Amino acid sequence: MAASETTVKLDGVSKSFGDFTAVRELSLNVRAGRVFGLLGPNGAGKTTTIRMVVNITAPDSGEITLFGRKIDSVVQDRIGYLPEERGLYRRMKVVDQLRFFAELKNVRGKSVEARIDEWLARVKLSEWKNKRSMELSKGMQQKIQFITAVIHDPDLLILDEPFSGLDPINVELLKEIVLDLKRAGKTIIFSTHQMEVAEKICDDICLLNRSRKVFEGSLRDIKSSFGRNSVAVRCEGGDGVLEDPALVSKLVRHADEAQALLAAGADAQVLLKRLIDSGAVIGKFEMVEPSLNDIFITKVTEPA
Amino acid sequence: MRKFLAVVKREYVQRVRAKMFIVSTVLLPLVMSLFGIVPAVILSIDAGSPMRVAVVDQTGKMYDHFNQALFGDEPREEAGPGNNAAAPRRGRGFGNFVLEKVPAENQSIEQIRAVLDQRLRAKELDGYVIMPTGFIDHGQAEYINRNPSDLFSTRVLQSALNRAVREQRLIDAKVDTETRQELFQLVELQTVKAGTGGQERESGTSSFALVFGIGFVMYLSILMYGQVVLGAVIEEKETRIAEILFSSVKPFALMMGKLVGVSLVAVTQLAIWGLAFSAFALYGAGFLAARGLRATIPSVPLSHFIYFGLFFLLGYFIYATIYALVGSMVTTAQEGGQLAMPIILILVISFYLFVPVSRSPDSSFSFWVSMIPLSAPVAMLVRIVTQTPPFWQIALSLLIGFGSVLLIMWIASRVYRVGMLMYGKRASIPEALRWARQA
Repeated sequence: MAASETTVKLDGVSKSFGDFTAVRELSLNVRAGRVFGLLGPNGAGKTTTIRMVVNITAPDSGEITLFGRKIDSVVQDRIGYLPEERGLYRRMKVVDQLRFFAELKNVRGKSVEARIDEWLARVKLSEWKNKRSMELSKGMQQKIQFITAVIHDPDLLILDEPFSGLDPINVELLKEIVLDLKRAGKTIIFSTHQMEVAEKICDDICLLNRSRKVFEGSLRDIKSSFGRNSVAVRCEGGDGVLEDPALVSKLVRHADEAQALLAAGADAQVLLKRLIDSGAVIGKFEMVEPSLNDIFITKVTEPA
Repeated sequence: MRKFLAVVKREYVQRVRAKMFIVSTVLLPLVMSLFGIVPAVILSIDAGSPMRVAVVDQTGKMYDHFNQALFGDEPREEAGPGNNAAAPRRGRGFGNFVLEKVPAENQSIEQIRAVLDQRLRAKELDGYVIMPTGFIDHGQAEYINRNPSDLFSTRVLQSALNRAVREQRLIDAKVDTETRQELFQLVELQTVKAGTGGQERESGTSSFALVFGIGFVMYLSILMYGQVVLGAVIEEKETRIAEILFSSVKPFALMMGKLVGVSLVAVTQLAIWGLAFSAFALYGAGFLAARGLRATIPSVPLSHFIYFGLFFLLGYFIYATIYALVGSMVTTAQEGGQLAMPIILILVISFYLFVPVSRSPDSSFSFWVSMIPLSAPVAMLVRIVTQTPPFWQIALSLLIGFGSVLLIMWIASRVYRVGMLMYGKRASIPEALRWARQA
């Protein structure tokens, strides 16, 4: 698949519930074979957007195309969807559930059994195959839910907050799987409000805030457009310099170091010189890219 | 379609495999038969020894009649005075009695009373009856006993006395034995369907019994499986699977799949019971035949059986879909249980329509009742076995009924989907209607 090919295309899509507009005039392109991050604070319209893509609800206006065609049940079977609201049949055996979810995607027969075994092995739950899901821990259930979204080998995988509530080891495990799927040419839409996670796996992002698109593009472009205007500093003394509003517009202190966002027109060299002059002992002074979190906060709080 | 079948299969297999299903299949008939047997057993328990009743017959004519009225016509041995060894026998009705004739001649009534009262205190007797000299004319007797609140025994004695005194009055009126027997001959009212020349003498009542039986089985399966349908619809909400499902399968297919899956479970259970019951009945019939009794299989036209089947299905589905609709509106099974209460009420009401419809099956009331889906199953069946309505009416009733099933399921699936998008909000009825329109 060429990288320029579009898997999902939204064109001027709006959706409201009663008086509340959940999504307003949203257009975006999800390119094939990439991880697309749909980011935004709670209530920004992420879940509604996803639901329209998977055909759970229809847009009031605008158009959605998947794989170059309007959504229908055939296209629907090529999507794997892990919603934020998710669960399992409590009394059903793990293997029966996975088989059922595969059947709902029109995948059945012997190949399914092999895939179930393969996936269970991959998330290290093989010995739980014949247990009822109520006997599984919450983390284990979450991994089974993940398998329900990928058991039919979808071309488009949509994950809504897939890592919430997982321990770091399992987050790492699922993250690797997501990146493997990407390498296998699958398109992945990844919705979250955890910017640190998005920063690590997304190629492209779209920022939503209050039902509108704030920004769309590749992560690289966004970061470079913000420039390297942040400095990571570890020093003893020199507090007065770091708090000078002419040099530093915003200062965030972490445990042993501080991150200083340079004021408009301020020069990092000047800041360094002033620190040395003030007699501070400098352990670290590094130009850094702004984190996605910083960009996000800047964009969201920026007056429209 | 294949997705719909996948839903049906899951519902069916999961439920039939469940321990609950196996337990209820075995246990329910046991419980039901216990309900039938236990009261009979309890009523037949004789707490303590038989009632020992002394009879003071001052008329000198009544004792034999009384004895016969109480114990029937079986040959019996007299329990002579002071001879309490006579075997206790079951009186008509409840309880066992031992009668004892107290010689009333040559003694004043006060003396007899004194002796009997003493025996009562000594617990040699449980009570005594005094029939005074004028008893046959004025019909006033006395029953002195230790336990006046034992209404059952008192009533049995009273009715025996009644029969005895009637017999004696007829004898006094010089009515001979044969005429007396004729007088008490019970009437026999045979129902014959008009225009059949007496051929269909039996089918009326037996079809009626069948309709009643079908109505009852319908009622029972709704009671048992309505809640299951409700639970099945709520299951995905409570476990939060709905959203995953709806990205693969249409809400309508999901709802129909659930309804059909659960219904197949119900059919399975009914079939198991039905087979077990028929096996039992066949065995029982054979047993009766061996003893020279013949159980008649009701002669009902084949077309009626087809109608029975269709209207049973209609009755089941129409109520089951209402449960599904309720399930689509609520978020927990408890809420659903409360909201589902009126359904049973409607079911009971439609069952009682049996009576007015069978009285005038051709009235316009009966016509409308047999067209409204909620009451149609029972009402139309009653009409079919009494005065079969024209075919178009039957067809129309079925059409309206099954059409309503689809319509209700369609509404339910829309309400369900919007409810899920609203995240755990319970729908009021106007809201549900609005959701059904806008979804």
